[in-house]
Amino acid sequence: MKKYVVKRLAFALLVLAGVSVIIFFVSRVIPGSPVAMWVGSKPTQEQLDAANKELGFDKPLVTQYLIYLKNLAKGDLGVSLRTHRKVSEELAKRWAATFELVTVSILIALVVGLPVGILSATHKDKPIDHVSRAVSISGVAVPIFWLGMTLQLLLHGGLDWFPLQGRIDSQVLIDHPVATITGFYLFDSVATGNWPAFLSAMDHMVLPAITLSSAALAVVTRMSRSSMLAVLREDYIQTSMAYGVSTRDILYKYALKNAMIPTVTVVGLSYGMMLGGSFLVESIFDWPGLGRYTTLSIQTNDFPAIMGVTILFALTYILLNLMVDLIYYFIDPRIKTPGTSG
Amino acid sequence: MKKKLLVLCLAMMFALPAAVLGAGGAKDTVVFAAYGDIKDWDPSVAFSLEVVMLVSVYEPLVWYNPPGSKELLRPALATSWETSDDGLTWTFHLRKGVKFHDGEPFNAAAVKYSIDRTMKMKKGAYYVWSAVKEIKVVDDDTVQFLLKEPAPIDLIASSQYAAYIFSPKAGEKGTDWFMQGNAAGTGPYKVDSWEKSQQVVLKKFEDYWGGWDGNHFDRVVLKIVLEKSTQVQMIKSGEADFASLAPVDSLPGLMKTAGVEVITPKSWQNSMFLINTRKFPTDDPKIRQALSYAWDYNAVVNSIYNGLATIGEGPIPKTMWGHNPNLPKYEFNLKKAEQLIKESGIPKDKLKLTLAYIGTSQEYENCAQLLQANLAKIGVQLELLPGPWGTIWEKAKNLDTAPNLQSMTWWPTYPTPNDWLLGMFKTEKKALFNLSHYSNLKVDTLIDEGVKMEGIDRDAAIKAYGIAQKIIVEDAAAIFYADIAARTIKRASVQGYVYNPAYNGLFFYQLYRK
Repeated sequence: MKKYVVKRLAFALLVLAGVSVIIFFVSRVIPGSPVAMWVGSKPTQEQLDAANKELGFDKPLVTQYLIYLKNLAKGDLGVSLRTHRKVSEELAKRWAATFELVTVSILIALVVGLPVGILSATHKDKPIDHVSRAVSISGVAVPIFWLGMTLQLLLHGGLDWFPLQGRIDSQVLIDHPVATITGFYLFDSVATGNWPAFLSAMDHMVLPAITLSSAALAVVTRMSRSSMLAVLREDYIQTSMAYGVSTRDILYKYALKNAMIPTVTVVGLSYGMMLGGSFLVESIFDWPGLGRYTTLSIQTNDFPAIMGVTILFALTYILLNLMVDLIYYFIDPRIKTPGTSG
Repeated sequence: MKKKLLVLCLAMMFALPAAVLGAGGAKDTVVFAAYGDIKDWDPSVAFSLEVVMLVSVYEPLVWYNPPGSKELLRPALATSWETSDDGLTWTFHLRKGVKFHDGEPFNAAAVKYSIDRTMKMKKGAYYVWSAVKEIKVVDDDTVQFLLKEPAPIDLIASSQYAAYIFSPKAGEKGTDWFMQGNAAGTGPYKVDSWEKSQQVVLKKFEDYWGGWDGNHFDRVVLKIVLEKSTQVQMIKSGEADFASLAPVDSLPGLMKTAGVEVITPKSWQNSMFLINTRKFPTDDPKIRQALSYAWDYNAVVNSIYNGLATIGEGPIPKTMWGHNPNLPKYEFNLKKAEQLIKESGIPKDKLKLTLAYIGTSQEYENCAQLLQANLAKIGVQLELLPGPWGTIWEKAKNLDTAPNLQSMTWWPTYPTPNDWLLGMFKTEKKALFNLSHYSNLKVDTLIDEGVKMEGIDRDAAIKAYGIAQKIIVEDAAAIFYADIAARTIKRASVQGYVYNPAYNGLFFYQLYRK
C-alpha cells in the first residue's frame, strides 16, 4: 500500500515535469513582448531594456527554464507580470476560494443526488423517478452561465434572498475580518467562532454552489440510480429478500455500499471537471478564485502565472485521482492493492 | 444519522436569509466598484488603475484644476511656487502643520526624499522628472528644484503618477512593505484594510490638514467587481455608488434608471490610427491624405462609439490646453481620396495596405472594418491584422514588420500637451511609440521649443505646439478620429462630484451623500 502511494507520487512528479516543459516552451513561443505588461503602458526604452534583464528574458530559453526549475524547487513560482505579485501567494489564496466552492458543490451533489438516485431506483418508473430524471437531464443540459445568471435574476434581483456576487459581504469583512487558517472561509470562521462571517460566507456560497453543482448533481443522481438498480438485481440481494431481511437493511447495509463505487468514480472525476467549470461560475459571481485569474493570465500571456496555475491544476488532478483510487480500496476490500490487481 | 445531519445542514443553508446589510447606501460610506485590484501600492511605482485610490491617500505638491477653471493649478502640499526667469530653478513654499498618516511631519526633506526615491527607482512614470538635476531643501518649508533644462515643474508636480509625497519613514521600508497594502501619505483617507482581490477599505484620516468640517464620507470601500453585468446590477440596486465598468449598450438603460446618473464628459484620451510614413505606399503623403479622406468620421463617432466620443482634431484632444483649434480638417470624401490616389501615381494594384489593431477592442475592429469597406469602394485593399498589444507593438516598432496603419489610444502622463507630440511625433532613433515612424526636423524643433517655454512663457509654448500640430495634420501622420468621452456612472444621491480629466482617480473627500 505504502509502496503503491510512493510509486504514484513519483509518477506524479514525472507528469508535473512534463507539463512544465510543455507549458513553459509553448507559452514563450507565442510572439509578443510580455515585458510591455510588466513595465506598464508608457515605458521608456531604458525601462524596457532594464525589465528584460530583470526578468531574465534576455537569456536563452533553456537557461530560463533551468532557472525556473531551480526556483520552483525552492517553492518560488516567480512574480506575475500582470499583477506584480508573487504567483505562489496569489495561487494559495485563490486556490482556497475555488476549492471551497467546488467542495461545497460536490457535497450538495452528493447529499441531494445520492438519496434522490436511490429513491428513483427503489421507486422505479414511479412519479418520483420521472421527476428526478427530468431534473437531472436539465441539470446537464442547461448551460452553466445561463443557470447562474437566472439564479441571480430570480433569487437576488427578484426575491432578494441571496447576495449578487462576491465571497463575503463588504461590511462583514470590515467589521469581522476572517482570520486565515486554511483559507476556507466557512471553516476558518467556524474555527475562530466568527459567526457573522460564517453566515455571510454561507449566504454568498449558495447561488454559486448550486450553479456549479447542477451538472455533477445530475450525474450523481443518474449514476447512483442505475448502479443501485444493478445491485438490486444481484443474486445476494434477491436471496436476502427471500430470507425476509428488512428492505431498509438490504438497501442501506448491503446494496448501497456496492452501488457507491461507480458513484465515487464519478465524483472524483467531477472534482476535476468542476475545477474547470468553476471558471464560468467564478466569472458570473465574482468569486475571487483561480478561474478569473487563469483566464486573465492566459489572455495577457503572463508566463509565470500560467506556469503556476498549470502546475497547481496538474497537481490537484493527480492527487484527486490518487484519492479516488484509495477510496475504492476502503469501500471494496476485494480490490487488495489498487492498481496492481491485473 | 450522518446523512440526516447533512440534509439538515443543507436545509439550513437554503433557509438562510440574506439578512446581512450591504455596505452600499450607508450614509457615511461610499462604495466604488473597481474593475481590478490594486497593482502597485508603491507611490513611486504606481502607473495604473490604483490611482483611483492613490489620489485620496496621497497628495502631490500641486493639483491641476478641472477644465473651465480660472487657474490651471491650485495648491496642494505647496501653497505657492515660482520659477526663475531662465526656468531652471523652481521654488515651492510648503504647507505648514501637515502630518503623514504614520504621524511623521511633512516638510521639505520629505519632498526631496519622495521625488529623489521615485527618480532613483526608475519605475512607472519616473521619467516625468527627467529635467531635474537636484532637489534642494532650502529650509523646512521651502524646497527648490534645480533643472538641467527648462521644464514645467509645476505641471509635472501635479501629475497623478510619480508625483506623490510620502513619509520618508515609509519609503525606507521599501516596495515590499507598500505591496502588503500599506501606505503613508498626507491625503484625507488612509488605508484601513485590504482583502486581496476582494476589496480595499479607506478610513478618514482624523489629522487631515483640510479638516473634516462639512459633508464628507468617513469610509471608502473599493470593491473589486470584474464582471460588467454585475457592476450594472450593483449600481442599479444601490449596492455600489460608482460603477467603473459598464457595457456601452447598458448606458441608455442606466441613464433612464431612477437614482442613477451617467456623466460623459470629454476626457484627455484620444484614439487614432498612426500611418507609417516610411513604408510603401503610405510613405507617400498623398496616400496618407487619401486615407484621411476615406475615413467616415461621423459614422465612427456616432455609430461605433455611440456618441461617447467627438471627432478628433489633430494629435491633441480638444479639451487639453495647447490644442490648436484652427487646424486644417479632413472630412469623409471618397472622391477626393480617389483623386489623391490618382495624383500619387501609384497603380491601384500596388495599393495593398495593412492595418494592425488590438483585437479585443470592439471599437477598433468596427472602425477597421468600416475603413476596409470604404477603401474597397475605391479599389484599395486593406488587410486587417488584429492581435494582442504586446505582439502588434513589437511588430510596429520594427519597420520591416510594421503595418501601414496602427491603432493607438493616448493620454498624458502629466497635464501637458507635449505628451502627445513628444511621445508619438518626435523623431526617434529606435521607434518606441512613434509608430508612424514620423520624422520632421521642423516639428522636432518646435516641440523642443515648446517644452522649454512651457514653464517660462506658456503662451509661447502654445504657439510652438500650434504650428507643430498643423504640420503633423498636413503631413497626415495619422487618422485622428476620436476624442474619447469619460464615463462616470454614479448614484444620484452622491453629491460633490466634479470630473477632472487630469486624474483617473476619484476625490472621495469632495463627495457626500444627500
